[in-house]
Amino acid sequence: MFKQLFNDLYSYRQLLKSNVSKEIRGKYKGSFLGVLWSFVNPLLMTLVYAIVFPFVLKTGQPHYVTFLIIGVLPWNFFTTVINQGTNCILVNGGIIKKVYFPREILPISIATSGLVNFLISSIIILIFLFFSGVGYSFNILFYPLIVLIQYILSMGILFITCSIDVYIRDAEYIINFFIMMLFYGTPVLYSASLFPKKIRTILNFNPMCPIINSYRDIFLYKKVPDLSLLLIVLVESIVLFVIGLKVFNKLQKGFAEEV
Amino acid sequence: MVMKSKNDNNYAIIVNNVSKKFKLMYDKPYTLKERIVFWKKSKVSYHQVLKNINVKIKKGETVALIGVNGSGKSTLLKLMTKIIYPTEGTIITNGKLTSLLELGAGFHPDFTGRENIYFNASIFGLSAAEIDSRVQEIIDFSELGEFIDAPVRTYSSGMYMRLAFSVAINVDAEILLIDEILAVGDQHFQDKCFAKLKQLRDSDKTIVIVSHSLGPIKDLCNRAIWICDGEVKEDGSTKEVIDDYLKVCG
Repeated sequence: MFKQLFNDLYSYRQLLKSNVSKEIRGKYKGSFLGVLWSFVNPLLMTLVYAIVFPFVLKTGQPHYVTFLIIGVLPWNFFTTVINQGTNCILVNGGIIKKVYFPREILPISIATSGLVNFLISSIIILIFLFFSGVGYSFNILFYPLIVLIQYILSMGILFITCSIDVYIRDAEYIINFFIMMLFYGTPVLYSASLFPKKIRTILNFNPMCPIINSYRDIFLYKKVPDLSLLLIVLVESIVLFVIGLKVFNKLQKGFAEEV
Repeated sequence: MVMKSKNDNNYAIIVNNVSKKFKLMYDKPYTLKERIVFWKKSKVSYHQVLKNINVKIKKGETVALIGVNGSGKSTLLKLMTKIIYPTEGTIITNGKLTSLLELGAGFHPDFTGRENIYFNASIFGLSAAEIDSRVQEIIDFSELGEFIDAPVRTYSSGMYMRLAFSVAINVDAEILLIDEILAVGDQHFQDKCFAKLKQLRDSDKTIVIVSHSLGPIKDLCNRAIWICDGEVKEDGSTKEVIDDYLKVCG
């Protein structure tokens, strides 16, 4: 199954490439700021949270804005991939009906364009670290590992959601709601350490929770992330990816008839 | 998985006991609400398009699929490209395959002709380098000249078709599946396409064409398959099959 996937991806690499760039450039086509929106957007979000939440939550979190941006950017990566990718098969229905190409290209290019976006916007994190006086440490070297885990995770979920969405159109809205709910179950606005140990254990069932905590560890707290927990998330993500690919492969046979 | 035997390698396309049913649903439940409320209520009927088709096409053959409207020719072609999958049976294809079911599928109206060449050829599975080496040939064949750098939405339908055909025919696939598109452009361009198809035929590419233009087909193909009500009615030399077909349907 994987060999087939890699072969397909290799021979259709040009399609993947042009799809990814279309996804990145095309999204804000016609707007004044263009691609810059993908950086301005999370910054504005962070600004709102930074103004509102210190009043509500009394977090006492030092470097709260930096703390926020390290949470908001990865979360943004995750939600953009899932929310915008879920209907990627439906949106491309016209072409699916007329031409054969490996259908996996569609969700993979959504996840990859999200990844590229995130990699670039990570510069914002570095800028914030510099200006808030937090500085850098060698633990940043863990960054590629965490990003990779998140990439596999979101792609796995996307495989499932986008193929189900073809058959049940509600999936999109249900998933949007679920992601919104998950936002509050993920320590983006708050620190997981606010909670007693029991609740923290429950929170860690949400794979995005250890991922965001790890980003904070390497950037803000300048320490080694919880590697055993990350390993579990990595295994979870790979399992989810395999299941996702299986579901996708099964459902994709009906795509041309259902869209 | 079906095991491939050794002599299967001489074949470009093997269609094995293929049947295809389409689900016809009145008030198809798209949403969850509809699925729950109309649970087991929605009328489902099946439309059998293809029944137990067995066709083997050798490498280098040029085959015409003929038959009246709704007989299942295009469905068979779509099955061969793996756009849809058979309800029963298997289809094996050997070699790089390109299909021209609809010209200009995947053209982006805001992009220029040149950009669309890249985009469309990449859908057919070409790499950037492969497209680079062909792009001039494609532009020359399409005879679009300076318009190639204008957005495709400004094209006339003839120009659009010419560009689409030029891309598809220059992809260099081993198997070419074509659905009723010989009527591209003016007489001059049609002749040119026809000559190109003949050239491809003689360079041992495998070509499968669905068409109602029997005249050109007689000239181009060495084998014809007559499909009638989803079954193979006759399979043989183009002339005989077309003559028999005309007796019944002409």
